[in-house]
Amino acid sequence: MIFNPSEHGLEFDCSDFAQSPQTLVFEDFVRVYFSTRKRDSGGQYVSVVVFVDFDKEFKHIINYSKDEVIPLGQIGTFDEHGIFPFHPLRVNDHIMAYTCGWSRRISVPVETSTGLAISNDGGITFTKYGNGPILTSSLSEPFLVGDSFVIYEEGTYHMWYIYGKKWFLDTEFNIPERVYKIGYAYSGDGINWKKSNLKGLIPDLIGENECQALPTVIKIGNTYHMYFCYRNATDFRMNFNRSYRLGYAYTEDINNWIRDDKSSGIEFSESDWDSQMMCYPHICKVDDQIFLLYNGNMFGKLGFGLAELSE
Amino acid sequence: MIAPFKWQKLGQVFNPTEIKDRAFLKEFAQAPSTIIFDDFVRVYFSCRPAPDANSQYINYSAFVDFDRSNFFSILRVSETPILELGDLGTFDEFGTYPVSVIKVGNEFFAYYGGWTRCYSVPFNVNIGIAISRDDGKSFTRIGDGPVLSYTKDEPFILSSPKIRIFNGKFYLFYIAGKKWIIDEDKPEPVYRIRMAVSEDGNNWTKIERDLISVVIEEDEAQASPDVFFMNGLFHMFFCYRHSKNYRNGERGYRIGYASSRDLFNWKRDDLKAGISVSTVGWDSESISYPHIFTMDGNIYMIYLGNQVGKFGFGIAKLVM
Repeated sequence: MIFNPSEHGLEFDCSDFAQSPQTLVFEDFVRVYFSTRKRDSGGQYVSVVVFVDFDKEFKHIINYSKDEVIPLGQIGTFDEHGIFPFHPLRVNDHIMAYTCGWSRRISVPVETSTGLAISNDGGITFTKYGNGPILTSSLSEPFLVGDSFVIYEEGTYHMWYIYGKKWFLDTEFNIPERVYKIGYAYSGDGINWKKSNLKGLIPDLIGENECQALPTVIKIGNTYHMYFCYRNATDFRMNFNRSYRLGYAYTEDINNWIRDDKSSGIEFSESDWDSQMMCYPHICKVDDQIFLLYNGNMFGKLGFGLAELSE
Repeated sequence: MIAPFKWQKLGQVFNPTEIKDRAFLKEFAQAPSTIIFDDFVRVYFSCRPAPDANSQYINYSAFVDFDRSNFFSILRVSETPILELGDLGTFDEFGTYPVSVIKVGNEFFAYYGGWTRCYSVPFNVNIGIAISRDDGKSFTRIGDGPVLSYTKDEPFILSSPKIRIFNGKFYLFYIAGKKWIIDEDKPEPVYRIRMAVSEDGNNWTKIERDLISVVIEEDEAQASPDVFFMNGLFHMFFCYRHSKNYRNGERGYRIGYASSRDLFNWKRDDLKAGISVSTVGWDSESISYPHIFTMDGNIYMIYLGNQVGKFGFGIAKLVM
């Protein structure tokens, strides 16, 4: 564990939750954005995005954001009730971010879509590209689009994201639960996206109700490596046999992914902050070292940790 | 120069509160649109069962068939809604309204607004497509999701679809929400008329701008953009209202008019619409949701009266 929000006196009211750490690498430090939570006027949680800067070996914290890096949306918009996760990306000195905006529903708890935001001050604050999303529901992806992760190479932007497949009533607990899967879209400008609509992109390991989230991809040599997290659709909050763990897949051609969780090279701890749950992975390269950041037990309530790739 | 239109009101032709044996059709007959058959005119409209215990409504769409030679002769009313509501969590779980139907070959395509319920605002709407292969009596959605969804500058409420084909291309006129404003602690949406173009009716390119300027206030809301071609020009009838306190008749819906040579650039001139509220009767407080159709050499406008169709719709004939 490298960051526990309860141990840091941040200037914003944030002592719980540091979810989905995602990095932007600068010349002499690494900025880690994450979502923390505050209470809205009705007492409900909303996720907001802040950052913490580490030295390039993740040994010391050298700076914090003074405020939320991006405001939540206006009434009725897709990101009115939270932004989580937040994916920063630098392309040719431009810093942007793909956001996952949350808005509350009545028959189901939430709907999400992907938004875009731009930073003109080196990643300290971000301005929204419009009040609406850039990637959202469509004919065969009817709801819950989010968790976008983007890489740019040779004029093409590649996005892996998640989309909802179904909502259903969990009759044991009498609550609506959802199933979501990883999808792929591509773009020439990072703004206008074409969904591949490929279904079953990442094969299920625990059945059709497997929920797949937060894909993160790195290309090494000719191979794309993806980490993500997955869980059962029901009874996953307290039953740790059914909760989030990390999955792994690889491909050489973007479209045909081979799932191989056994090769992920990372396991639960015996008895520590990541002994019951591992989720929201983020893979990054700092100088020549590859790191994996992730959340542990309780969906990241306690903070996030770091693993280093051994050669 | 286009002469002002002149409409002869023929009267109210359908009042949903007079239909007694349809549980899904208790109140309202909104957003009418027509398909002309050999010997009858089918008018699709949207209706509501009685509200639930929390006074909340769901919306269905249905149809009524009129004798082609006599709009005061109802041949039949659909016995079920033309389309079921969507599954849990889908965009059209709580309503399918409004609907605009077009015949393509032997199939009928219905473009409709799907309603979901939200937490901070009462609802959101997205546009979906359903297809009928039984002469427009029942429809099946082509997917669980919407066909036209939210984008950068169209962040919510994509609704009021009107589908037309001109010169082999599909044109979808619709509205997109601009903002929610608070009127006496209640959120009210502001929306404007937009357009998207398609080669196949499924894959759409939005033109991403408002088509019609505002006249009564900056937050004017506009709906029901129905377009037809006549005498070398495209003509659009639509409805518009004030942003607040619009349930009062004076600030409620009126019918506006605009014309265009190219479908992209529109000149608004409401004085030419040629139709307004009556001094007394079913359409004396507001008129809205115009739909234009041509039949047997005549041009007709079908439209809603008081309380946005709570008591149904009437018809007017263009005086040529």
